[in-house]
Amino acid sequence: MITIDNISKTYGQNTVLKIDYLKIPKGQSFGLVGNNGAGKTTLFSLLLDLIQPTTGHIKNNGIKVHESEKWKPFTSSFIDESFLIGYLTPEEYFYFIGELRNQNKADVDALLAKFEDFFHGEILNQKKYLRDLSKGNQKKAGIVASFIGNPDVIILDEPFANLDPTTQIRLKGIIKKLAEDSNTTVLVSSHDLMHVTEVSDRIVVLNKGEVVKDIVKSAETLKELEMFFAGTDVEVQISEEE
Amino acid sequence: MIRTFLSLQWKEFKRSASFQKGIAIKILLIFAALYFGSFAILLGAFLFKILSEFFPEQDPITTANNYLIFWFLFDLVFRYFMQQMPVMNVKPLMIIPIKQKTIIHFLLGKTMVSFFNFLPLFIFIPFSIVLLVQGYSPVNVILWFLAIVAITYVLNFTNILANKSNTVFYIVLSVIAVLAGLEYLYINEYFDAFKVSEICGMVFNALYNYPFLVLIPIVLAAFLYYLNFDYLNKRFYLDDAISKKVKEVTTTDLSWMNRFGKLATFLKNDVRMIWRNKRPKQVLFMSGFFLFYGVIFFVQKQYNDMPGFLAFASIFVTAGFLFSFGQLVPSWDSEYYKMLMSQNIPYRKYLESKWYLMVLAVFISFLLSTPYIYFGWDKYAMIAAGASFNIGINSFVTLFGGALNRVPVKLNEKAKAFSNTQGFNPTQLLIALPKMLLPVIIFYIPYLIAGLNAGIISLALSGVVGLLFRNFFLKKIEQVYQKGKYKTIEAFGEN
Repeated sequence: MITIDNISKTYGQNTVLKIDYLKIPKGQSFGLVGNNGAGKTTLFSLLLDLIQPTTGHIKNNGIKVHESEKWKPFTSSFIDESFLIGYLTPEEYFYFIGELRNQNKADVDALLAKFEDFFHGEILNQKKYLRDLSKGNQKKAGIVASFIGNPDVIILDEPFANLDPTTQIRLKGIIKKLAEDSNTTVLVSSHDLMHVTEVSDRIVVLNKGEVVKDIVKSAETLKELEMFFAGTDVEVQISEEE
Repeated sequence: MIRTFLSLQWKEFKRSASFQKGIAIKILLIFAALYFGSFAILLGAFLFKILSEFFPEQDPITTANNYLIFWFLFDLVFRYFMQQMPVMNVKPLMIIPIKQKTIIHFLLGKTMVSFFNFLPLFIFIPFSIVLLVQGYSPVNVILWFLAIVAITYVLNFTNILANKSNTVFYIVLSVIAVLAGLEYLYINEYFDAFKVSEICGMVFNALYNYPFLVLIPIVLAAFLYYLNFDYLNKRFYLDDAISKKVKEVTTTDLSWMNRFGKLATFLKNDVRMIWRNKRPKQVLFMSGFFLFYGVIFFVQKQYNDMPGFLAFASIFVTAGFLFSFGQLVPSWDSEYYKMLMSQNIPYRKYLESKWYLMVLAVFISFLLSTPYIYFGWDKYAMIAAGASFNIGINSFVTLFGGALNRVPVKLNEKAKAFSNTQGFNPTQLLIALPKMLLPVIIFYIPYLIAGLNAGIISLALSGVVGLLFRNFFLKKIEQVYQKGKYKTIEAFGEN
């Protein structure tokens, strides 16, 4: 579904991302982990053609994302709050996204009904604008909006951050369900190793812009990841002290 | 303590995004400030002469007092639009050991040194000096001047206390309308019970004639200061006065707009954007003032022989929204631009919807300008031709200019008076030139050759021709937007 080919992003002298080759097959549930500044958001922004690659290209379903807009109809995402329109109510926002994705009001309503649990009565019919919702509730609205219109590719940056424990668990359920569908490719990044191993089939670790681990999930995965991050942590501390 | 606050404020000012502009803009801003300042001073200096010429049978100070009420009412309106509420980044100060009262005094003190309170000084100091030179009693003049300053502060604190209440604003507006209406009727002898300006003037004349009355506005200002202080002091909690108020939202059904087809999605959004955010709402109201631009030129006889100026004015009558809103496309969507760029939206549709919005605005302005028929059909025809030009040419020029404009806009914050440099950059100025000069040229050359009608017709035709090339223009503009996409996203990200 997604092919990353020789992609790199450099600001001045500083290379923040460099991936020679990475292929994400259709239907895979793909987890991306890494410390702050590892390049997770940069990679997602490149996928969505929000920043320009220094070298290489990314193909989404065979379409080079920085050359054509044709990937937009089947790709949806929630990166941060700037994906929300603050002056709309959540309902208006969902219908707006729905209209952009050729879904009528009834389609959107049907989809929203499935997420009643997830919303926990804090999103719909609140008579509030999105900008006045709490960070966590904004995130809930943004994540659900990215499910509108049966997209083939869903990109979620740090979906677990800022959510309360109950919602985190529900979100894991939702993502796992999406992953079962062999047509939907889900890309999730997270700082939380436990969450991300739970929902993904495959986990890629980024460190300083490079892929340092690419593992298919097994019973050992969480342990392996924890060992890895404990190790790099120590390294970083020592090098800073010098 | 106050010194610490002052240095914090200074840093906030110096490091604010709008101040981090090129030197050219700073110089321009200084010139603008000097221009307005010196204009006010000149007005103050010559006010005496002007008043004695227009109302020779009356003492100029009496005339000034008679019309002061309008000055103060407009002051209130102006404040409603422009004055910022005293917000300081108080949150971090709440938990460190500073007396709460000190912070509040500082906040209120800050509002006292605003542009709105200095403007009257620029006018009334020179006016008072002229009065003194003319031999008016110094005690009366000086205390009268103090009274004016005190009333200005009364307005200042009233405005803060009313806290942008729409009710207060509409009351002030209707008072202006009623007073001005009665005054107009009196002058034209339709109504002779009393003259508004004389009734209201009695109050201000009393302030002049009995100088000790200055105590009243001073006490009133002090009292209002106290009220403000008390209000803030009692509500100095995160979830009270300091917090933003979250009002319950009433949504309006805009589904009737669905008849616009694919564009409806965006149009609905834009209508909501304008209606629910402070900044675009401000722009909408401001653009209403453009409608009166023609009056300035049409009432003055000398411009009748200068049709070039009339063409210029005609363009402005219908261009208020087009210019003021249009120059900030796509900045209006800066807060969620990333989403728009990754959603299923063709750029073309996005631009088209903005274009329709501007065309609609020109059309509505044109309908509203019907009363200009009063000045003669030729003037009205000129406005119609101007509207045609605005739709056919200026709408595209404005959209094109937007592509070069990468200033993020905070939707729900009002623009500050004179510190607003958003959308004020050399590129914008360059783009603004053809918008205003081109129509004058298109009008003026045929006018010189074949008379007024030829000028009007060629101006109107230019708009039609522009419309014929609509697709071509939109395509070119789209390419410019596409090319600048990454830069724009990056710039908007600095919001």
